Amino acid sequence: MITLDHVTKRFGTFTAVDDLCLHVGAGEIFGFLGPNGAGKTTTIRMMMGLLTPTSGRVVLGHHDLCSEPLAAKALCGFVPDRPFVYEKLTGREFLHFVGGLYRLPQALCRARTEESLELFHLSPWGDELVEHYSHGMKQRLVVAAALLHDPQILVVDEPMVGMDPIGARMFKALLRSLTLRGKTIFMSTHSLEVAEELCDRIGIILGGKLIASGTLDQLQRQSGEEGRLEDIFLKLTAAPDMLEVIAALRA
Amino acid sequence: MRTRLYLHPSAPHHPIIPKDWSWVIGYGGLLLLPRFLALRNGLYRTGPSSRLRALVLPLLIVLFWCGAFWFFHRVLQYFSTIPDLGPVLSQKLLHFVFLAFFAILLFSNVITSLSTFFLSRDLLLLLPAPVPPRRLFAAKFTETLVDSSWMVLLFSAPAFAAYGVVHGGGPLYYLLVLLTLVPFLLIPAALGVMLTLLLAAALPAQRGKDMLIVFSTLSLSLLYLLLRLLQPEKLVNPAAFADFLAFLSAMQAPSSPFLPSTWAAEVLLPVLGLTHGEVLFPYLLLLSTALFLLVSASSASTILYPIGWSKAQEGHRRRGLRHWWEATVQGITLLFPSHLRVIVAKDIKTFFRDAGQWSQLLMLLALVVVYVYNFSVLPVGGGTVGSFYLQTVVAFFNLALAAFVIAAIAVRFIFPALSLEGKTFWLLKSAPLPLRRWWWSKFWVGLVPLLFLGELLVCVTNYFLHVSAFMMVLSAVTLCVLTCSIVALGMAVGVAYPNFTAEHSAKVAASFGGVLYMVLCISFIGAVVVLEAWPVYMFLLSQLKQVPPSPALWGGMFASFALACALAIGVFWVSVRWSIDRLERMEIA
Repeated sequence: MITLDHVTKRFGTFTAVDDLCLHVGAGEIFGFLGPNGAGKTTTIRMMMGLLTPTSGRVVLGHHDLCSEPLAAKALCGFVPDRPFVYEKLTGREFLHFVGGLYRLPQALCRARTEESLELFHLSPWGDELVEHYSHGMKQRLVVAAALLHDPQILVVDEPMVGMDPIGARMFKALLRSLTLRGKTIFMSTHSLEVAEELCDRIGIILGGKLIASGTLDQLQRQSGEEGRLEDIFLKLTAAPDMLEVIAALRA
Repeated sequence: MRTRLYLHPSAPHHPIIPKDWSWVIGYGGLLLLPRFLALRNGLYRTGPSSRLRALVLPLLIVLFWCGAFWFFHRVLQYFSTIPDLGPVLSQKLLHFVFLAFFAILLFSNVITSLSTFFLSRDLLLLLPAPVPPRRLFAAKFTETLVDSSWMVLLFSAPAFAAYGVVHGGGPLYYLLVLLTLVPFLLIPAALGVMLTLLLAAALPAQRGKDMLIVFSTLSLSLLYLLLRLLQPEKLVNPAAFADFLAFLSAMQAPSSPFLPSTWAAEVLLPVLGLTHGEVLFPYLLLLSTALFLLVSASSASTILYPIGWSKAQEGHRRRGLRHWWEATVQGITLLFPSHLRVIVAKDIKTFFRDAGQWSQLLMLLALVVVYVYNFSVLPVGGGTVGSFYLQTVVAFFNLALAAFVIAAIAVRFIFPALSLEGKTFWLLKSAPLPLRRWWWSKFWVGLVPLLFLGELLVCVTNYFLHVSAFMMVLSAVTLCVLTCSIVALGMAVGVAYPNFTAEHSAKVAASFGGVLYMVLCISFIGAVVVLEAWPVYMFLLSQLKQVPPSPALWGGMFASFALACALAIGVFWVSVRWSIDRLERMEIA
């Protein structure tokens, strides 16, 4: 469902993503992990057409993002790391607007808006301006907007930031229910517990390169670390002096 | 290794924090340090476009200074040639300059202090920190004072310099100007801060901000109308001079003895030899009032600021949907193709919910009223060759001016279109929406009202000028073509210089891109009007003299029209193609 084929992104002389190859199948939750500045958000932004790859190609469904951008984007819902939305629209108006962008018929758009507001516990604030929403409410609104057109692929960048425990639990249950309906989820997160709990496969990126990819068992074999995902992640990504600091702090 | 500091058992609990912070916090300057450092970094760590900006902006300031100095110098010199009345007019003008600055400073301080005291993002860092309230007040007050006053200082310098030069002020005068400006700037700042603190304690910050923006824009619009209604053109007409002076004298406000602007003027007038009053008394009045208000504001802040800050955090209010408004918006969107309606509806709603944006329409209304009024009082007509010449020149001048007004509005409303999408642009970019569709929706939403306004301006004013039907049609058609190109150019320069972090459109309009856009518009308008003016003038003159136009004149007219048309179409076509292409290739890092 998602194919990244030798994707590279350079900003001047700096290579943010280096020859990245990935394939995520239908109905799969793929966790994309990596330390800060590893290239996760750049990869996601290339997948959503916000950045153009320097080389390589991104295929969503059967549509090449470069040659068929509109068809590829129509398949996707996107939840960015920071929920920037139109502050002067109400939550309900924002969802109507997004429905319009994805060309949903008006009646269907209205029905789904009400469903989404209900599902994400935003109904009482549906007619409030978004500028008065808390961070968590904005995050829920953005998730609702991303799912409004019932996308085949959901791309999520740091979904849990700012969400309360109930919101986070609800979001995890939602992701599971989506995969049961055959939807594909590509999720970048710093929460290793969430990745371990939800993801079918995990990819770890460091310095723009994919250094490991597979199920938890496969990652354990690749890293030679028998512990939990956190240990595997640290072994693969942390610099030796950082491991020393962590060991000292634990002691 | 540095991290050892944190890990070693004998290391202090917070090794990088000094034992006693107060010696650092004690200096209110520390709180202003981030602003200073940000300014310094902005100046030194710049890219090529910023360097160009750093060159162009001082140049523009110097040009403005020269222009303003020339204007004040001419006016004051003219006053000095009028026996008896001249000094009175110079006095009144200085009173008026101080009063206008005082009013602007008061509004500016109220608006700025609302941001610095209640909406500024650094407050979330400063308020939980162990900063004494008075230090915080001192820092925020200084910030407000500097932000509100630097522009007035910049604008006032040529006026004071002109007074000094024309009336031979000497070094004492310039020293007194500096000494007077200090308390003169402090008074509106202290009053503005106190007013804001009171308002914030009574209302949530956002609502208070909206009210203040509307109030100040309305007041500035009225001030502008008032200035025009003074009919300064009567100064050149000796017959009306006595009436004008009587009118000016009838206005007691500029010289009310209770106004700080009066005290400030009275400090300077004796040094300039325009009055024989005392310097020290009004200066002490000014200084003591400034100090008293400063202390009062500081004391008021200790009580009112915590209440206001707490209210500012509430900001939660229910907004019922207004069905008539919803229906109106939907009705307007029906004028547009179905695929553009959702974007148009969003733009209309966000525009009218942002007081900072829609309140500019008040200013626009004042501008249009004064514009039309100016032409209604122009002394043209009479049927002579002289008046015909004046009529034609004024008609072309009118055309250029109307196009300039369109450009000035476009820099506020069209040029910032992309920037105002802000950080939400990710949504449009990631949606299956061809960005050319977004571009055209912005173009049409901008073009329709601007075209209506422009045609209204040019037709009504041409009616007052009694121009011929030919000139009327020519002006209307030319303005239509110019408006299309100006709007497209605004979109193009807006796409070239987007500012996704700007908080409001005025900030985008005042950016380097905005200045560049105005320069391009002025050059474009000038070129089109010049191309049309000369052959049309010759043609109309031949009609007036009842001589048939020669073939060469016909050829010249055709060639110049074709050139003007080609230029306008070229600007439009290049702007559309280039900006849509750039928009589609734009990356959001």
